Amino acid sequence: MTEARFQRMKDLPSTHLLGAGTAMCAGCGGLAAVTEVYDVLGENTVFVNAAGCMTLLSVYPFTPFRGSWLYTAMASAPAGAQGVRDALDILRAKGRITPEEDLQVVVLSGDGAAGGIGLSATSAAIDRGLDFIYLCYDNEGYGNTGQQTSSATPHGALTATDALRSGFAGWKKDLFAIWVANKPAYAATVIGGEPLDLARKLEKARSMDGPRMILALAPCPAGWGYDPEHSVEIARLAVKTGIWPLKEYADGETVHTRLPHPRQPVENYLKLQGRFAHLFEPARDEPRLKEIQDAVDAYWAPLEAEHAGG
Amino acid sequence: MYRIRFHGRGGQGMKTASRILGTAFFIEGFEVQDAQRYGAERRGAPIFAYVRADRTAIHERGVIGRPDLVVVADDTLVPVSAAGVMQGIGPDTVLLIDSAESEKTWRERLNLQGPILVLPRLIPLEPSEMAYVGTECAAAAACLTGIISLASVRQAVQQELAYMKAGVVDRNVEIASGAFARMAAHSGIVQEGGTTSHHDRTVPSWVDLPADDIGESSPAIYGAATSVAVRTGLWRSMRPVVDTSRCNRCTWICGSFCPDSAIARGSEGYPQIDLDHCKGCMICVAQCPPHAIVAIPEAEAVAQEKEGAAS
Repeated sequence: MTEARFQRMKDLPSTHLLGAGTAMCAGCGGLAAVTEVYDVLGENTVFVNAAGCMTLLSVYPFTPFRGSWLYTAMASAPAGAQGVRDALDILRAKGRITPEEDLQVVVLSGDGAAGGIGLSATSAAIDRGLDFIYLCYDNEGYGNTGQQTSSATPHGALTATDALRSGFAGWKKDLFAIWVANKPAYAATVIGGEPLDLARKLEKARSMDGPRMILALAPCPAGWGYDPEHSVEIARLAVKTGIWPLKEYADGETVHTRLPHPRQPVENYLKLQGRFAHLFEPARDEPRLKEIQDAVDAYWAPLEAEHAGG
Repeated sequence: MYRIRFHGRGGQGMKTASRILGTAFFIEGFEVQDAQRYGAERRGAPIFAYVRADRTAIHERGVIGRPDLVVVADDTLVPVSAAGVMQGIGPDTVLLIDSAESEKTWRERLNLQGPILVLPRLIPLEPSEMAYVGTECAAAAACLTGIISLASVRQAVQQELAYMKAGVVDRNVEIASGAFARMAAHSGIVQEGGTTSHHDRTVPSWVDLPADDIGESSPAIYGAATSVAVRTGLWRSMRPVVDTSRCNRCTWICGSFCPDSAIARGSEGYPQIDLDHCKGCMICVAQCPPHAIVAIPEAEAVAQEKEGAAS
């Protein structure tokens, strides 16, 4: 029922709550997601921001938000959210704020804090059943300091910590699966380049209580090595190639909200980005490209079989 | 000791410029420091990097306060006080600006006693060639010192960019050689500054400030979206312009994809671009279904506006 608000692109808000004039890079895919999320959640939102790119959103005395914003260290944003939620609950219990004045508590964090430095505090917050939304903008590296490797860096990508320039040998950590294993109220993957899918999921998330996670892949012109104008194109290709599955988890079940069909080869996505250029130049690195494609194929194989069968 | 500062925008290769110049000095037998000013790394935002070079060990640390040479890769940064381009410029400091405007214009504008040189642009740089500016600036700076050979500059470029494609490296070497040649008449204009010691430092006269009341020292901001007071439109090198004759007025497309809340639906349904805040990412240009938004160089757009206002 709540999803009825966003049927077409035309239904998306035409004015944005988030103020312009922030320090985010031109073409920032993370800022695109945060802008779209804020539009759906509305003004009664308080952000608890783990250190990262987005902490530069609010630099005193300038803020793009219409309400409060709290800055925490990388590891402790969920703890900050707990404190804010508790305070709001006390105000509610004492009758000092009405239910309409209550705020949605949102942790805003990059992948470095979400999947690495801040993971244990997050896990504990889910264990306690904290009523909050955890919004992660995942630009697949420590972007604010020049794109060093994080646990969300994808296989083969070059980062600033890769002195040998051979590409990340590890594999991107599956933060969605980690959250689902903790049995939250809701979890979803989104991307700014698919605003309608994002708006529907946020609309659903805001109507629920308990721990909820929104994981937004955030194309990053500076860190991924592409011209800012390609941000949305790259976001779309992440979905069309199946490298970024759009899905949601609720009531113990994970559902894919998009089945890319026909699924494009991953190299259509990879070749637009400087961080993967070494897979194509001076010579194609066929084994590496195959490894990446195989991993994506393996992910989709059961879903595609089920779809074909049904 | 030589103290050289490079100012540019994120994406123009200022860090690379400092590395190339530092390596060129090193090849010439100098002790070298080169560093980028740590900060948030933002495309389009003001960035600076610096190089110290001396024949003996360098004990100075930190940002260069009194530069012998300041290289400005983007002339729109000069009036931006936060960029700190003019910081510490003295009568002996050489200022080298990559600009389409003349030395005379800059001299009148800045009222500086020291030498001002203009590095004319070799080619109308495409956005994709933005990073070549750094190489150009590094080579020009090397020439101005008069003690770095072209061979060392070429070797430094090859060494620092070794990870790039052969074609790109060759293009950078070519650009470096061109910039070096164009500065030949001024070779040696940059003079080494003397050594400084903390003993020479003028001790500031301290003023006791009593602790303010918390409400005054950390006032709360109750205003919403105060960030709009920051004019990020200054970052832009290209400007999106709407051709209303082709526009379908589907502003939910461009307006939703603009990451900076800078496109609103105007009174007649056409997109209204907030030029005070548009950072020039050009996502709207790339995503517009009828291709009704075009990108034109900001300088051209400003010139057209001036003409329009004059006539």
